[in-house]
Amino acid sequence: MQNFIFLIDRFDGTNSWRQRYEFPHKPGMTVLTCLIHIKENLDPTLNFTASCRSAICGACAVRVNGNALLACDTMVDDLREQWGDGPLTVSPLGNAEVISDLVVKWDEKVNRLRLANPGLHAKKEFSAHEGCRQAPQDMQAIQKQWDCILCGSCMSECNKLSDSSKDFLEPFTYTHAARYAEDSRSRNPLEHMENMEKSGMWKCLHCMECVTKCPKGISPAGAIASLRELAFKAGHTDGPGPRHADAFRTDLENTGRLNEVKLVPRTEGMVSAATKRLPFTLRMFARGKLGPVEAARLFVADNHRVEDHDGLKRILKANRK
Amino acid sequence: MQKTYAFFPGCVLHAAAKEAETSAVAVAKRLGINLKEIPGWTCCGASHVQDIDPETALLANARNLALAERMGLTLVTACSTCALMLRQAKATLLDGRLDWANERLAEAGLKLEGTVEVRHLLWELADGCDEWAAKVSHPQAHLRVAPFYGCHTVRPPQVMDYESHLNPQSLEKVIRACGATPVTIPERLKCCGFHAVFPAETSAHRLTASAVNSAAEAGADCLLTPCPLCHMQLDMYQPDALSTACGDTPVPVLHLTQLLAMALGLDAKAIGLGRHIVDTKPLLASSGSA
Repeated sequence: MQNFIFLIDRFDGTNSWRQRYEFPHKPGMTVLTCLIHIKENLDPTLNFTASCRSAICGACAVRVNGNALLACDTMVDDLREQWGDGPLTVSPLGNAEVISDLVVKWDEKVNRLRLANPGLHAKKEFSAHEGCRQAPQDMQAIQKQWDCILCGSCMSECNKLSDSSKDFLEPFTYTHAARYAEDSRSRNPLEHMENMEKSGMWKCLHCMECVTKCPKGISPAGAIASLRELAFKAGHTDGPGPRHADAFRTDLENTGRLNEVKLVPRTEGMVSAATKRLPFTLRMFARGKLGPVEAARLFVADNHRVEDHDGLKRILKANRK
Repeated sequence: MQKTYAFFPGCVLHAAAKEAETSAVAVAKRLGINLKEIPGWTCCGASHVQDIDPETALLANARNLALAERMGLTLVTACSTCALMLRQAKATLLDGRLDWANERLAEAGLKLEGTVEVRHLLWELADGCDEWAAKVSHPQAHLRVAPFYGCHTVRPPQVMDYESHLNPQSLEKVIRACGATPVTIPERLKCCGFHAVFPAETSAHRLTASAVNSAAEAGADCLLTPCPLCHMQLDMYQPDALSTACGDTPVPVLHLTQLLAMALGLDAKAIGLGRHIVDTKPLLASSGSA
């Protein structure tokens, strides 16, 4: 087999550069054993973090060819199956400040995690003496989210976070909020959701990078969805996010299909639709994307109901009984 | 290629992205494929209904799947979000919710076994490439095309498992078969921003502008996407995106089946090339399509 070639993104606090390391192939090597081999045999100045070597501590997440993974849990031969035998580029996690080489700064991210109010405040019927009983199915509902090891893989390629972290949190924070909010023992689920609502919960792009990258198979996007459901059911229905989602549901129930003309006023209100969105609407007319007559009909009336719409209504009604 | 499919157009193919349906139907006709629209299909929930009322979304998709299954055909959709929502629903239903759904579907005389296959039109076209490539009469050799996959075409890979999510090649395969040249841009597998264009408008526009600017810098003549929602974002919102992010070179955006239609020599008007916000005429001038 060809030698391993790692191109590692280095940073010494001032300068950054990409450094090439070549060493003999050995079967069964993980990305982490390669990094350790480099540090012990080729370059003692290389910095990275790692601890358990068992995919439990979450310390060794890095990016290979731009995609986050746990270094200790990834065989280099598997990576070669994906990328071929050429050089592999190893970089620090994305959407994080780099301290040195592959080491990123966690302080601020941990502070932001506190917004989820992590920690269970149990219902009043529970006590230190009686304990907190939970039915197996209620435990199963949150079990997956408890596998989070805070490795940061979910944040690395998050498209929303890459654009701006000012109005969005690291996806694992929403996972942590959801695991308390959904816990059947929790006294006040909303105390875990409300800060998330103020911190980007409705701004997730649904890019699915977090779900794709989590080495534990957790879905932070699913956690965001469950927090949105909790908020909506608690009456937090104002704002473009919930109103947009509700417009889809309204159309699905009323006719079966989306009414694009009503979508903007339902999401943003009539004033915005008639002013801010006017240039958009006019160019839709100008390019024939939307006919004025069709638009007027959809606005005043609605889509025609789909075939057997009554059947759809009966199905949904049966579920609400 | 299979010749008859249960076709799930998705809402936007009946609305702002009508040209995606027109071109899909025209291409199918030329290739001898029968797209039989599923009678009574409804919105897939578009990932939005799923967020506030997951059971309503799951039941609507159980109904969609049951309607296709009743036709005895593979369901094919030309929308990546529809594909993900339907495949995700099928997986959820088969994972212990089938009896629950069937009790409710019975109200409309429907039953779901869970055997119906859900496929993206892109996958069928990529698989059938060798067959239809011989029918390409107008190779688009002048076009440099930047593929833009769209998140839900490949992610999450547990559900969208047709090809590698890290380095998919289906779009490149179709582009080459059409005689055009694929141009890789860094945003090839990134998000267009569509699903959050209202709550996170600035972010969505910056993502859109980033893809457009990269395509312009790479010398691409157009972007190509298999998802009509990405198309809406990249085309309809492109003027807003470029003004948000200071881009100055508009780049036309083609639906997957429009490129194929051009390569098959179909009439530009019939495939809705005039129904774009960003002018597609420069593509025709260099391509020689009628």
